[in-house]
Amino acid sequence: MGEIILDVRNQRTAFATGRGMLQAVDGVSFTLERGKTLGVVGESGSGKSVLSRSIMRLLPGTSMTGPGSQILLNGKDLTAMTENQLRRMRGPEMAIVFQDPMTALNPTLSIGKQIMEVLMFHLKMSKRDARAKAVDLLKAVGLPQPDVRVDQYPHQLSGGMRQRVAIAIAIACEPDLLIADEPTTALDVTVQAEILDLLQRMVRERNMAMILITHDMGVVAGRCDDVAVMYAGKIVEKAPVRSLFSETRMPYTAALLSSIPRVTDPPHRKLDAIEGRPPDLINPPPGCPFAPRCRHAEDACNRAVPELTGTADHQWACIKPLNTEAAA
Amino acid sequence: MNYLIKRFQRLLIVLGVVTLITFLLVNVLPGDVAYEIAGMDSSEEEVQEIREELGLNRPVLIRYVEWVTGIFTGDWGTSYISDEDVWEAITDRFPVSFELMILAQILALLLAIPAGMISAFRPNGRGDRIIGTIAFASVSMPSFMTAILLIYFFSLHLGWLPATGYEPLSEGLWQNLRPMILPALSLALVEWTILMRTLRVEMIAVLQENYIALARAKGMSNLRILLVHALRPSSFSMITLLGLQVARLLGGTIIIEQIFGIPGVGRLLIHAVYTRDFIVIQGCVTFFALAFVTANFLVDIAYAWLDPRVRTRGAHG
Ligand SMILES: Nc1ncnc2c1ncn2[C@@H]1O[C@H](COP(=O)(O)OP(=O)(O)O)[C@@H](O)[C@H]1O
Ligand code: SF4
Ligand SMILES: [Mg+2]
Repeated sequence: MGEIILDVRNQRTAFATGRGMLQAVDGVSFTLERGKTLGVVGESGSGKSVLSRSIMRLLPGTSMTGPGSQILLNGKDLTAMTENQLRRMRGPEMAIVFQDPMTALNPTLSIGKQIMEVLMFHLKMSKRDARAKAVDLLKAVGLPQPDVRVDQYPHQLSGGMRQRVAIAIAIACEPDLLIADEPTTALDVTVQAEILDLLQRMVRERNMAMILITHDMGVVAGRCDDVAVMYAGKIVEKAPVRSLFSETRMPYTAALLSSIPRVTDPPHRKLDAIEGRPPDLINPPPGCPFAPRCRHAEDACNRAVPELTGTADHQWACIKPLNTEAAA
Repeated sequence: MNYLIKRFQRLLIVLGVVTLITFLLVNVLPGDVAYEIAGMDSSEEEVQEIREELGLNRPVLIRYVEWVTGIFTGDWGTSYISDEDVWEAITDRFPVSFELMILAQILALLLAIPAGMISAFRPNGRGDRIIGTIAFASVSMPSFMTAILLIYFFSLHLGWLPATGYEPLSEGLWQNLRPMILPALSLALVEWTILMRTLRVEMIAVLQENYIALARAKGMSNLRILLVHALRPSSFSMITLLGLQVARLLGGTIIIEQIFGIPGVGRLLIHAVYTRDFIVIQGCVTFFALAFVTANFLVDIAYAWLDPRVRTRGAHG
């Protein structure tokens, strides 16, 4: 077993809303080793972004973290840290790439400055060294003419270019953990693969651990070691990517898999293909959250929330898992 | 280029409207400069004679056209009372008023920027509410009231700063600034609140932006996020307001200059109004309008500095 970078234990994140508490992340646990990539897949609203912000501890003031929740990064408990201690972790130990590169960069600062400030704050580099390093980083992420681009502003770059800059910022201080929250959802289909390849290459070259968040099962197929499927704030199935595809247990996972776009599909086909809507997170149903939409649901499903069961490798939260004797 | 032409057209329209209105207004005021020149106990014939001499009995519009033509040839006329050249009278005194206005704007910004940032950082938090209350009290008080209170407190009570007077810059920077502090503060204490509120609203929105979240994710401190990441993109409305406020400030300085005995354009104008010296009134008003348009032109330049998108667009054409 490799070195464990991230250990998330029973993470629960709720928001105080006008209607009551909204449980956005509900008891998520997993570990991630150095050099590995964990795919986190789920429909929009399933809690993927809140999970990633919970790990970065970048939640708004209206949020509450469960009392039993713990997040260990390199063995250090992030949930027990002060804001100042956390600041020193963000950059050198963990970093994030957001979904929309059009809004994730500051329009009033040159991209060079936006990279340099991380280097100058965390690595105490001089301005000159930081600038040279920024050019190197831009070159590493495949930005053409990095020495010219370094002085340009975000609006002078295309979406794909901006996402490359965002990746350069994220890897600037060689973090151990990189979170990519739907890094290609806002991009042109033609550049999506390029950005995913770049992320994969960076992770491999720098021996980082990565959480690759997506709503697209097709994205995780060739690029992740393990996949966690999220639904209504919970991990409902987790497995090595191969087993997830070949021995799918959760009907929700199966539904996601069957909605992977094929080459023959028209472009921009989304996962929304699953019928029905996810449950209300403020007043969740008593049983399996997927029951109202599940083709295999029976009375027992509505009685209690299914626990995550299975082997150390492959777990699922379903009382009637597919492809087993129990499913008949 | 096109843009400059448009600006210039607007300048001409503003000037035309403003000067015509004042010209007409001064003429409906009872009494005219001829009475003033003739003196208290002169006969109606003597006054009429002076009017004749000065050409004051000709139709208003003709005199207006004459005056406008003069402006275009650089002749702003001569004061009926003091025989002083109007252009010189104004430009002699304007630096004093200008200094007062700049100081007032600087003080207003010095108050508005930190206060606006604190307010926006935690909207409805304690800091925000305290600042909101102070701002409300501050803006509720007209600047002349503020001036009187400031004089009472800082000059009479504490004796720290002079209540009146003016020292030219040649007497030394501090000598020059000392008597300017209270007048500038009187103006600033009204102006800062609007700037602060504008900055607050815009910054609250900016702090929700993704790039602020990214700055946090990079480990940047709250102070750095506010100053380096959020202030610039939050200050567009505030800068616009800074230009528009020049009009109000010009009005404010007239009163404040009276209270503090500052020899600026305001005093010149007030004196001219008392003596119906309308050629001087016209000159001052025109000059103010020019100053206003110039200030707003500078605001546009500030935009380009604040927003690289404007800057690079300009560079391409
Ligand atoms: N700041 C917030 N306040 C209240 N609710 C929120 C907030 N952020 C996210 N949520 C809710 O949490 C749930 C999960 O959201 P999110 O993690 O963004 O989903 P996604 O899987 O699409 O990234 C959604 O129901 C969303 O409405
Ligand atoms: S527990 Fe029941 S409702 Fe839930 S996914 Fe399994 S079969 Fe469907
Ligand atoms: Mg999301």
